[in-house]
Amino acid sequence: MDSKHIKPFSKDILQFENIEDIANQISGKIKDDIYSVLKRKGAIIGISGGIDSSVTLGLTVKAIGPENVIGILLPEKDSSPDSKKKALELAQKFKVQTIEEDITGALEGFGCYKRRDEAVAAVFPEYNPTDYKMKIGINQSGLNQFLPPVFSITIISNEGIEKSKKLPIKEYLQIVAASNFKQRSRMSMLYYHAERLHYAMIGTPNKHEVQQGFFVKNGDGGADIMPIAHLYKSQVYQLAEYLGIPEDIIKRTPTSDTYTAEQTQEEFFFQMPYHEMDLIWYGLENEIDPEEVGKVLNKTSDEIMHIYNNLSRKKKTTEYLRMAPITYK
Amino acid sequence: MQHIQEKIKEFILRTSYVSGDQVNNDTLIFAEGIMDSMGFISIIGFIEDEFSVEVADNELVESNFESVDAITNFISRKLKVGTVG
Repeated sequence: MDSKHIKPFSKDILQFENIEDIANQISGKIKDDIYSVLKRKGAIIGISGGIDSSVTLGLTVKAIGPENVIGILLPEKDSSPDSKKKALELAQKFKVQTIEEDITGALEGFGCYKRRDEAVAAVFPEYNPTDYKMKIGINQSGLNQFLPPVFSITIISNEGIEKSKKLPIKEYLQIVAASNFKQRSRMSMLYYHAERLHYAMIGTPNKHEVQQGFFVKNGDGGADIMPIAHLYKSQVYQLAEYLGIPEDIIKRTPTSDTYTAEQTQEEFFFQMPYHEMDLIWYGLENEIDPEEVGKVLNKTSDEIMHIYNNLSRKKKTTEYLRMAPITYK
Repeated sequence: MQHIQEKIKEFILRTSYVSGDQVNNDTLIFAEGIMDSMGFISIIGFIEDEFSVEVADNELVESNFESVDAITNFISRKLKVGTVG
């Protein structure tokens, strides 16, 4: 494999040299895109109390001022109460107006919970949402092999007893399809507020979410601008420090906040800590010899090669999520 | 054994939408992108339904699933163990 990178690969390769310049560049683009390209009067951002939406809000406030930004909280009955608390703390810090829209009723109307719970009960007949919490996860062993991941479902009783099983394809697809009502309902509500105010909708995914397909097509993948979609997660954290995002948001473990049981993004999808994933993804994109990456991360060349292959496969198999609708002449 | 092999190959061709000449018995179906994540879950479900074998989490390894031959050998071993047991 030929190396085409200029800086020698190291654990600090993704460290911004001048964070102020980076923040100014991004916020300058946001301002230009909102006012000149999209010709909108302000910005709407869905805020979850997570690091990505917080940094996106911070950059947008820097771009156009807090008086032109509205943070929308979109809880539903499965959301962690901590998400709301942290989102409000963020809004207060940046002096941004908030609107809270509970989407539970909309989701009940779509049959989101009922359809999801039917599929869970097909795997675990004893399951009911009153006595159990549930989550789905990815098997961790697949990372070092040429095999795609397999999803498993875990139910946790009110007494704390956990049971897990591999998810059959029919139930897996139904749980995912039903849960995706959440992101799509949020997108609809965000656009409602954006359109009534003639504002732009600012999306919050980072580079890994976009490139590895960890988003819902026409859900959180729908927005007018995605200002951090080119940034590695560690770079998002650097910006968070620079922008003064509240410390408890920075320290919070990223979660999916989608299923009733608590679940980290690592456990649900990414399979490794973000600081490792950042460096390996950088190595893959810049064709860095796996041995060189392995030395920095204390892994063998074979392990890095397997992860390169896994990440390439994830990107390839999620291409459909990033595609615009196919049209014909 | 040949019967198992044919069923596996037929299932892969039917669900991957590739032509027969692209899949030999030793083709690395995941490494070469013939089957993806959905394909893998489908194969597991097909094996469990068609041959009444249960696939344990620790059996989800390349040596059992990388090709038609690997899957065939895996099922044959499982069926033999089942018979003896």
